[in-house]
Amino acid sequence: MTDLLYKKFVERWEEVTQLPPTTLGPLTGLYKTLTRRLKVMPLPALFIVSLVCVVGVYVLFGSAITLLVSLLQRGF
Amino acid sequence: MILASLVVALVAFGKNSIGIVSRPYETYRRITDHGSLWELPYLGLVLALYFALASVVKTAAFRPFLLTRQFVLLAGSAALTYLIVVILMWEVGKLVGGKGTIRALLLGWGYTLVPTTLWFLATSILYVLLPPPRTDSPAGIAFSVLFLMFSTALFFWKFVLAYLTMRFGLHLDLLRIAVVAGICLPILGLYSMLMYQWGIFRVPFI
Repeated sequence: MTDLLYKKFVERWEEVTQLPPTTLGPLTGLYKTLTRRLKVMPLPALFIVSLVCVVGVYVLFGSAITLLVSLLQRGF
Repeated sequence: MILASLVVALVAFGKNSIGIVSRPYETYRRITDHGSLWELPYLGLVLALYFALASVVKTAAFRPFLLTRQFVLLAGSAALTYLIVVILMWEVGKLVGGKGTIRALLLGWGYTLVPTTLWFLATSILYVLLPPPRTDSPAGIAFSVLFLMFSTALFFWKFVLAYLTMRFGLHLDLLRIAVVAGICLPILGLYSMLMYQWGIFRVPFI
């Protein structure tokens, strides 16, 4: 039992230490907050960000976005 | 033995395909640490199914020779692109101090093709159901907003998976990942332009 627990601990330790930590100076906290949201079920958050981006593009370019979509639809 | 490996890989492929939607970080750690290259044939199968459909839509004629030629062209180009991306990332990653394995990179990048395939599949189906060009009518604009939203979300998802591939596959930190991306993206941009000029993919299948 102790051996198994120790083995699991070592595995977990190796898992944690195999990656170099990412630090961004004063932005490290923001980076950690953002990445935490992306670790589990990121798609709803990504769709919300996408909606904001697309609305922004629509405000900037208006109905010209239909041209972009027509191009993309032929892009496969 | 091979059959057992294939069955185990099929289960892992299914589990990982769901995992990259629900828990990408944890799933990518598992893929790069414990994944098997036997999972790649299933990914290839999914891509082959898409290319078969795309060949029918692109050729728009039921002529076996033309369909086969189109299929081979699409599948061959996608396979070549996959290998070029992996080799490029591996070489550049090693230059900046990456310490991973090529197996992890092959698997990691392989799974990033899931959002790519989803986008291409959805676009092909929409091309048949609602062929372009889009108009300036309210319905046209609403469709455009939805399509762009869908495309952007999948692009961000692909971006997250590509980041995780380099993070776990090459054991890099954010700065080094940015350096690798900064070197690889212009090269892939040129490659994509060549693909466009050759008339294979207008949007790069990366």
